[in-house]
Amino acid sequence: MGADLFSIGRSSLRTSKKSLSTTSHNIANANTDGYSRQRVTAETNAPIQSGKNVFGSGVNVKSVKRVHDRLVEKKLNTSISQKSYDQARTDQLSNVEEIFNEINSEGMNKILNRFFNSFRELSNQPENEVVRTLVRDNANIVIKDFKRLSQSVTDVKNRLDSQIEATVNDANSLGGTITELNKEITRLENMGGETGDLRDQRDTAVRKLSEFFKINSYEDEKGQYVVNIVGGGSLVAGGSLNKLRLGRVAGDEVGSYKDEARSEIFFEAGGSTTPITSKVASGEIKALVETRNNEISFLRGQLDEMAHGLVHVTNAIHRKGYVNKKIPVDQNGNIIDKKDPNFFNLPMKNKITGINFFKEPLDLKQASQYIELSDEVKDDLDNIVTGLEPNSPGDNRIAVAISKVQHEKVLGQGSKTFEETYLQSIGKIGLETSKSKINEEQSKGILAQAKSIKERLSGVSIDEEATNMVKYQQAYEASAKMIRTADEMFDSVLGMMR
Amino acid sequence: MSRVSEGSSIHAIQYSIAKTKEKLEDLQLRGSNLKQVQRPSDDPVGNMEILSIRSKRIDNDQFSRNASVAKAQLSFTENAIEELTELMVKAKELAISQSSNIFDPAIRKSVAKEISQLHGQAISIGNRRLGNKYIFGGFKTLSKPFDENGKYLGDNEQTKIEVGKDVFVPITFSGKNVFFEKNDSTLTPRSPLDNSPFQELENQFEIDPNNEPHFKENEIEINRLPASKEKAKFPEDGQSSIFAELKRLENALVTNNHEIIQDILPGLDASIDRLIEVRTTIGSTINKVDNSVNTIEKQNITNADYKSKIEDADVAELFTDLTRQQNVLNATYKSSAQLMNNNLMKYIN
Repeated sequence: MGADLFSIGRSSLRTSKKSLSTTSHNIANANTDGYSRQRVTAETNAPIQSGKNVFGSGVNVKSVKRVHDRLVEKKLNTSISQKSYDQARTDQLSNVEEIFNEINSEGMNKILNRFFNSFRELSNQPENEVVRTLVRDNANIVIKDFKRLSQSVTDVKNRLDSQIEATVNDANSLGGTITELNKEITRLENMGGETGDLRDQRDTAVRKLSEFFKINSYEDEKGQYVVNIVGGGSLVAGGSLNKLRLGRVAGDEVGSYKDEARSEIFFEAGGSTTPITSKVASGEIKALVETRNNEISFLRGQLDEMAHGLVHVTNAIHRKGYVNKKIPVDQNGNIIDKKDPNFFNLPMKNKITGINFFKEPLDLKQASQYIELSDEVKDDLDNIVTGLEPNSPGDNRIAVAISKVQHEKVLGQGSKTFEETYLQSIGKIGLETSKSKINEEQSKGILAQAKSIKERLSGVSIDEEATNMVKYQQAYEASAKMIRTADEMFDSVLGMMR
Repeated sequence: MSRVSEGSSIHAIQYSIAKTKEKLEDLQLRGSNLKQVQRPSDDPVGNMEILSIRSKRIDNDQFSRNASVAKAQLSFTENAIEELTELMVKAKELAISQSSNIFDPAIRKSVAKEISQLHGQAISIGNRRLGNKYIFGGFKTLSKPFDENGKYLGDNEQTKIEVGKDVFVPITFSGKNVFFEKNDSTLTPRSPLDNSPFQELENQFEIDPNNEPHFKENEIEINRLPASKEKAKFPEDGQSSIFAELKRLENALVTNNHEIIQDILPGLDASIDRLIEVRTTIGSTINKVDNSVNTIEKQNITNADYKSKIEDADVAELFTDLTRQQNVLNATYKSSAQLMNNNLMKYIN
């Protein structure tokens, strides 16, 4: 009888102590990222029947479980993927946009404009050497800015590639972590151990993975924990990991020109390799790939078209004129050199007409990167042509014609001027960026909401733990008193015997 | 009743502070340079319009500069022609005074001398330079257009410049048009784009299947008259010139032939009429330049106004927003501080 009191007291002490230690574990982890509060579930021991009476036999700890909801977790992961996508896209597009931002500084639009206007100035005084210097300087600035833009766009592309590479490595190592945790959880659970903390760690890893791409995770019929990349394949299935592979893919061939190589992600499973780069549903990787494949290659194309168009139109006009030098003529006014059968193949120094302003030939692809002044113009300012007639220093018709290219629709199959082409490109990037900013704000809001739902459910409340602490402490004290009472009762019985 | 945990309340605080601060930062950036549009994404269409207006402004500044050049050159030419007109009027007066057959040989001799001087003056006007440019040489601006006998060495071209978008004005008048008898092609205004490679370009800029724009090189052929033919068009000798008239007058005076002197008078009148006509053309050209400058100035004002509407921040609104957002932030701080510093643990001993 007394022994029963002891064992009930002991079970009560043990349960209270376990509850207190869980409370203290909760308080300790109140600020741990991804921690779910844990609760002790206690139940009464099986009662003992003795004659007509039934005696309770105390309490025991049934389990310690974390407070967790699978659907809340899933919603959170989806929100994380969406937010990472929008954020990465806004970041990248803002970078690109900044390259072309001309609001507070000088940019290509102004520079091209000045280039054409310098020819307009030259048409005022075609005889003037100083204005020719101005024309050449302005042309050099145009060339420099084409190269700056081209280089900046390439830099962004390379950065995107290396970011894609880094995320793949991170994703693989997270996949490894999840695989190890899966094994450990299965082992512990087979032994009936507590796995709340490990499950929290696994959820945290999946959340991190969700930043890269949209994830679908579940337990399959055999109780295996599976992590699926939506659009890709299963990265983790129980204790096995299918690593993602990264590869450089040679660029597509367009005519004679080969596009730059780019990084692609491959999924390897069952002996076959599938590219998944452009298939992932959301997350940072999708944003990186999308920006690289759409905006960056669009801008590169536009820049190249502009540079190529500028070179060819300017040259075609420039070639028609005669150099600003005395050209020998016979008494009928015919150019003497023209009788020379090699007239059109004369060495550069002796050329009097057919001179290119920019260097030719120039491939359309990468034109913005390789644009350059012709050697003739570099060498001698008098090779900047203004006149359509030889020996006519006051003839400004070539200069006028080049200046008028500014307002002619020579690009996009004769539908756009240089300025329209350029401004429309920036407009497109601006539009995408502003769209993405709005999306980012929205998905940040949704994520905040999902996080809040999750925290309300699983997060630790200090107030709650404080009340629990007092409650369990009192239960502990009462149990101790119970044991002392039992002891005194035992003593009384012993005293009776004396 | 929904449960509140440490995580959920801290998260809510962080989210609301971050959001308010982000808005505040944006407003502060706008306040720092008072611009509504900081980057293309702030207003993609507005950004395009701002840049396009800026280009127009640069163009207009250049057109204004061209207009000044045109006006300077035209006024200079007008002065020269005015002097030339006075010279011709004087020659005509002298010719009339000597046109009867009653004369004093001594006077006639001195008049002949005077005419010879006028001839020299006329040539020096013909070879007049603005800066280093001969104004009456057509395109041959760097070599003397007239030799000492009044033989024209220049060409019959006019330099034209753009003083407003697509508004071209001539800034030179060739010696042929000023000093020589009219022929059909004089002073017909032509655009400098005529006969320039530009017109053909529109058709030549073709797109091939590879999307590579290129020119059909061979088709760009300019209707350039060979210099020899051009010369043949205005035969120097068949056409009377101011110099030839003065020379004839001088010779007539020297040889005392009053019939020739009378014969010369209509020619002198025609020359004076032509000079007046050229001056009228110059005057109307200057008017055209002035009009274009006015148009440009008006356009600049309209554009600046429009650009400001897109680009500039509404100051009153901006600073009201800024103050309000600062208040919101302060309130968030205060309420957060109270929430964060309180829990039950404080009251349990």
